[in-house]
Amino acid sequence: MTSTDTLPVIGFAGMTHLGLNSAVGMAEKGFDVVCFDPDATLIGQLETGEMPVLEPDLPELASKNKDRITYASDLSVLERCDVLYVAPDVPVTDDGVSDLTDLDALLEKVIPAIRKDAVLVNLSQVPPGFTRARTRPGLNMFYQVETLIFGRAIERALHPERYIIGCPDPDAPLPDAFRTCLEAYDCPILPMRYESAELCKISINCCLVASISVANTLSELCEGIGADWSEIAPALKLDRRIGQYSYLSPGLGIGGSNLIRDLITVTRFAEETGSDASVIAAWIRNSAYRKEWALRTLHERVLSTMDDPLVAVLGLSYKENTHSTKNSPAFAMIENLHPYRVKAFDPVVKTSAAPHPVPIDAADPLDCAKGADVVCIMTPWDDFKSIDPAKLADVMAGKWVLDPYRVLDAKACTKAGLSYLTLGVSDA
Amino acid sequence: MLEHLNTDPTPPNRVVILGREGFVASTLAATLEAAGINHLALGHAEHDLTTADAGEQLAAALEETDTLVFVSAIAPSRDAAAMATNMRMVDSVAQAVSTRPVSHLVNISSDAVYEDAAHLVHEGLAPAPGSPHGAMHLAREILLSGAMKGAGVPLAHLRPSLLYGTADPHNGYGPNRFRRQAQAGETITLFGEGEEKRDHVAVEDVAALISQVIQHRSTGILNIATGTSRSFRECAELAVEIAGKGSVSGTPRQNPITHRHFDVTARLKAFPAFSFIDFDEGFRKSFNRVDS
Repeated sequence: MTSTDTLPVIGFAGMTHLGLNSAVGMAEKGFDVVCFDPDATLIGQLETGEMPVLEPDLPELASKNKDRITYASDLSVLERCDVLYVAPDVPVTDDGVSDLTDLDALLEKVIPAIRKDAVLVNLSQVPPGFTRARTRPGLNMFYQVETLIFGRAIERALHPERYIIGCPDPDAPLPDAFRTCLEAYDCPILPMRYESAELCKISINCCLVASISVANTLSELCEGIGADWSEIAPALKLDRRIGQYSYLSPGLGIGGSNLIRDLITVTRFAEETGSDASVIAAWIRNSAYRKEWALRTLHERVLSTMDDPLVAVLGLSYKENTHSTKNSPAFAMIENLHPYRVKAFDPVVKTSAAPHPVPIDAADPLDCAKGADVVCIMTPWDDFKSIDPAKLADVMAGKWVLDPYRVLDAKACTKAGLSYLTLGVSDA
Repeated sequence: MLEHLNTDPTPPNRVVILGREGFVASTLAATLEAAGINHLALGHAEHDLTTADAGEQLAAALEETDTLVFVSAIAPSRDAAAMATNMRMVDSVAQAVSTRPVSHLVNISSDAVYEDAAHLVHEGLAPAPGSPHGAMHLAREILLSGAMKGAGVPLAHLRPSLLYGTADPHNGYGPNRFRRQAQAGETITLFGEGEEKRDHVAVEDVAALISQVIQHRSTGILNIATGTSRSFRECAELAVEIAGKGSVSGTPRQNPITHRHFDVTARLKAFPAFSFIDFDEGFRKSFNRVDS
């Protein structure tokens, strides 16, 4: 090891969401961290403390640990690293397939720059077979499963449940520097063959999707038969076979693009290997169907019943605490509302980004609701929880509130004279 | 599942409708007339699509700027003979358009292409017809898709659910028969207790949506359904209520209950400003027209 104390120096290549949050988390654990990205402009921004992504605690921890973090766009800095994580975000195409071009390019760039005794760890999610195909003589290469969650990236980086490590030989001990790094987190370390680790990540996501699909399917049934999913879900979570952290909140389909990407990967491999993955196709279809809940409900309750309605949309990002709008339910709805007037507000996403010919901007949530016939709360930002239903009713022209994520209190909305609609329960 | 080649609705130079004598075609002609859209409705007398030279004859009548609406069919197509006739008709249309490509072809198919047991029907569902009628429509879709791909002609397949309307000549189990029975003061006899739910569409709405597809020069597949299904008993009881006479009676159930609902998201996306006539209102109107 080349660092001045006993701890190895950890490098991260690719300063997008995954790499940056992982690097800052590692620095918080006391390691000297090298943050490399070929983009000198980005590195310059990071050196001034300007974070390119929105994540709770990220700027604070980056600032707190700035003495342990070296930002660089010069490859020569990688010579210092005992372990180098390669961690660029892997973009997903519109067809739900990973575009691995940038990851491959970065690997080709950094591999010649690291020391012969250094450990290379790919942290970016890749399909089964990727890692083994990139091995080469003399390269000490591993694959580590990432479990980043947008909006909780730092929390996940600091408190991993376990480490899943794809290895060239699962029975061989991990290299000292890599093991020291992993053991700093005091969580189980699970070495396995490359392909198992690659499929393990996909398996985790399939389990999450299964839970989400159960919630979405059964919550729609609740809407039809007078049950309330919010009464049922807590009972399920107390069942040890299901678990308190299971994804049982109904949503507008499967959020984000990574889960869908993994489902598509499974169907692709199933086609190649001749295994039955029809349940996966059903999950994908159910997600697409439930994603349109707001659009269908909006048409049924509002758009088909009045002339020239004004639709207010609160929240444009695909989930709270992120600026990402990829697979945003709000965008999916708005792009199909071109004949109607649409007003929008989001704490971080600009209204002008909304896919509508003339979206009307608003200064705050109540300004957005002013004069609206219907308010659709499409992202569960904390900012919206403090909206007073009585004030909402006062400023609105109509009475409809579509609140799929139950941001507002249903009873308070009803008391204020609003007609409140949400997932998983028939009309309040 | 529909793509609009015309973002803004633009009437074509001419709409040629095949199947003038039919219920849907005549309503479409009236809709286009009211909208001031130039159209030509052709019937069996001018173009018998079952003759050997029908394709050639039809080609001679077409212009390259035409939109062609194919709604001619022997329906319901219950046996091999009807199937053969319907296949002969689609072959004539395919030959004609391959010879003289038009600007746009709209094929009026049916939701019978879906499995009978399919309960939430959407355009992405794989067709699996359980009847000769459904198989006929699916075969016509496949044949037309292949021919139009070769001819480079944009094609839309529209799959209406169960239709109702005053001029419907069919008297199958459903709103039209119930209306006639109630107006005659007869007893409407239900299968079982009439529990099965179906999505009933007014023929005027079907015509209006076809007109939209024509003007947007849409391609792809679209189901034509309201998104709201109701039981046959509800329809029957409403018929008796509107007529002020007749009665409804159940029978011992012979077959399992099946329901059909539609996911209409694709239609909401394709035509976000389109609204269907409420069933109660549309059904009442169909009575008024008969009364008048």
